[in-house]
Amino acid sequence: MSSGNHSRRKFIRAAGAAGAAGFAVSVAGCADETDEGTTPDGADELGEPVESIQFLGPTAGVNAFRNELASVTAENWEEIGFDVDLNEMEFGAQVDQAVVQQDFDASLLGWGGTPERIDPHTFIYDMHHSDNTGQGGRNTPGYSNPEYDDLADLQVTQPDENERQETVYEAQEIIAREQPRTYIANEGGVHPYAGSRVENIDPTLGEGLNSFWNMISVTPTDGDGTVTMGYPSEIISLNPMQDLATPDRQFVRLLYDQLFRIGPDGLPQPWLATGEPVIEDDGMTYTVEIRDDVTFHDGEDLTIDDVEFTYELYADSPTYSGLVEVIDEIETSGNEITFRLGEPFAPFTANVLGQVYVFPEHIWGDVDPEDLADFEDPNWIGSGPFQFDDWERQSELQLSAFDDHFNPPNTDRFIRIPGADVSQLIGDLEAGQIDFVGAVPQPATLSRIEEDDDLDSAPFEDIGYVKIAYNLRREPFDDVAIRRALSYCVPKEEYVEFIRDGMGTVTDSTISEHNEFWHNPDVEQFRLDLDAARQELADAGYGWDDDGRLHYGADQ
Amino acid sequence: MGLREFVVRRLVQLVFTFWAFFTLLFVLFRLVPGDPTSMFLLDGMTPEQREQRIAELGLDQPLHVQYVNYIEQLLTGDFGQSFIYREPVIDIIVVRFMNTIVLMGTALFFAYLIGVTFGALMGWWRGSRFERGGIIVTLVARSSPEFWVGIVLLSVFVFWLGWFPSSGMRTTGGELGGGFIQRYGSIDFLRHLFLPALTGAIVYLATPTLLMRSTMLDVLKADFVEIKKAEGLPEMTVLYKHAARNSVLPLVTVMAIATGAAMGGSVVIETVFNWPGMGREMVRAVNTNDYPIAMAAFFLMGSVVILMNFVADLAYVYLDPRVEYE
Repeated sequence: MSSGNHSRRKFIRAAGAAGAAGFAVSVAGCADETDEGTTPDGADELGEPVESIQFLGPTAGVNAFRNELASVTAENWEEIGFDVDLNEMEFGAQVDQAVVQQDFDASLLGWGGTPERIDPHTFIYDMHHSDNTGQGGRNTPGYSNPEYDDLADLQVTQPDENERQETVYEAQEIIAREQPRTYIANEGGVHPYAGSRVENIDPTLGEGLNSFWNMISVTPTDGDGTVTMGYPSEIISLNPMQDLATPDRQFVRLLYDQLFRIGPDGLPQPWLATGEPVIEDDGMTYTVEIRDDVTFHDGEDLTIDDVEFTYELYADSPTYSGLVEVIDEIETSGNEITFRLGEPFAPFTANVLGQVYVFPEHIWGDVDPEDLADFEDPNWIGSGPFQFDDWERQSELQLSAFDDHFNPPNTDRFIRIPGADVSQLIGDLEAGQIDFVGAVPQPATLSRIEEDDDLDSAPFEDIGYVKIAYNLRREPFDDVAIRRALSYCVPKEEYVEFIRDGMGTVTDSTISEHNEFWHNPDVEQFRLDLDAARQELADAGYGWDDDGRLHYGADQ
Repeated sequence: MGLREFVVRRLVQLVFTFWAFFTLLFVLFRLVPGDPTSMFLLDGMTPEQREQRIAELGLDQPLHVQYVNYIEQLLTGDFGQSFIYREPVIDIIVVRFMNTIVLMGTALFFAYLIGVTFGALMGWWRGSRFERGGIIVTLVARSSPEFWVGIVLLSVFVFWLGWFPSSGMRTTGGELGGGFIQRYGSIDFLRHLFLPALTGAIVYLATPTLLMRSTMLDVLKADFVEIKKAEGLPEMTVLYKHAARNSVLPLVTVMAIATGAAMGGSVVIETVFNWPGMGREMVRAVNTNDYPIAMAAFFLMGSVVILMNFVADLAYVYLDPRVEYE
């Protein structure tokens, strides 16, 4: 195992060197041959050495792929003259130190591509606007650029999708140029399943077999009418009013419906709503008509009053009031509900109407807002395509089809078991105890799946990405040249091709190429090229001492 | 010193040990970087939600205030609420603790039953091929990593023969919940228990076997064994009534400590067989900064160790009249 890694790493470094050599040849062809070697000289008069980089990355246990990526990147940074202190951390500890304490120079973490992030708002505004640089905020680098902020603010107010697309394109260009982060790869992957026991598998963008659409589509073929899935962690809660972790959300949304759902294509589609929202007043008013054929799992009708009640409940909820704060006023009439916004909010359909779960007022009506997060509905009555049967957190969750739903699932029963880890779940899959696994196996395990006639793997792409954030609050990372140089040292293509065995795609933009409408394909690209990195540094006035260590120029 | 005085003194020591243990745990867990919101931050929790949650949990208070609050809570017998699950710690821990006791208890029972018998026979038949073979088998068992033993058993009994389920505690899709008997008394449960318990038994077997054998060798050198043999007692009577019983003493201590440690569960066995026990829960609690669960889990495990040592001390006196209370 370790020797395999070692040789793979050597190979990646060799590939980097080859790229560098190619670059040197092309430079030599078009420029005067003034330099002795292939590397630029940099400043003649040297100042202080550049500070060493405190680089946070995951342990191999947390994520073996990214752990490897971090070590190779650190080696490349040292190669061009930085001193790197790579600190491998547990997930929670790294999030705390990088995202909350903001005590880091560079931090390699993933950012998930959940369906509500297909609308570009999260990637453009939350992650890069200067309003979000506080502790725990999503602009971890502390990136602040007034020109960019204007665009991020503008796209929120543009109800016309084509106009908004232009703004989003321009925003992507700016951050690609300024590299507050190195955007590395949309990881994607494969989720294994037993093709001999289930059919109509429907892996969707960013979520693979964990997607809502797969869970209502998957059909058992072995006669027991039950689909059993395994996932390597327990569900914490099914209460939609708690802070939800990803595995919780995957099941909450089976039990509860929203007015809109993010479709398999990534766009919000009418769900409890009968059609697209009617948008008036320059995007300040949204009117939605709801279906009249919907009942809750206990047989009560779902009415417009339940919808209104729900939005008011969210506004009162300490955890989720932020989600609906853009709503100023709600009115209902017949089967229609009208939302008047305090300010234009272009992602309203996807990020509000698509996120708020509709609750039965006859169950949640008496709950004090302060107690919402601790409320336990013994049957988790919603109106979703599945209804709750039973749950024992450490052993299994049992759901059954809600046949009265307008879009009932293809399986009569759905069971979810929490596994110890992915390899253990693959064992269960091989033994026939479960039908699919909602997690990406290690490459070694993948070959076992390919050899097993009963098993298959469902590939999917991702809009989330792995990236390295730089702390722009600190020197020298406030210098764009430093960040661009560091980005040239990250082996993006090699990461996807060799470390991840081809799973995923390289990215240069904060918006994934798989998010087709919003992705700008023409942003500046950074690929492994150590000479380009040195050139950036030399052009910006940095220089190297005799040991190859990077220094500030004397006049910097 | 009499028995009563001894017990009282040991009890006072126990209380002090518990307090020190608790305080140490409290400080240690709060030194772990991160807080219970870390795992939600990348999933969509906003900074405002995070601060509100931290305040709800009282984690914005100075450490000494948190400490005093925690001790007060404990004195009323309350372990508090899990920071992550938002449910009483006791509800979560008890289920997993029972799962661990059943698994590890079974494993230890067979490990010690087989180990002691096997070790006694090995000592008795010193120099025989039985002993030599036995030592090799024991050493192989002792040096095999737990996960490897588990995976070998899985390959043979699950993937090859198909006799046992690969993981979990019961077949999915059945009725959940139920009382102790319903949970742990069914054939289905025993089928699920077999492989993980066997793994544990194999791993734990070596210590009692080797220890029993070596103390047997010492005892067998003693004159009284020769005398008993000379008295013409049947071989098995001498082996069982005189030699083995006199050799079992050191095992009591070892068994007490092993039991304590085993109650913490085995992360490895629980992972290989997806057994929802204490070991994995402790790892999860520590990784997600779920302090109340982590504290309670370590407390339970530590308590068993402390109590078992106490029991071992008392048992010594009972088993060996030469030991006195001092």
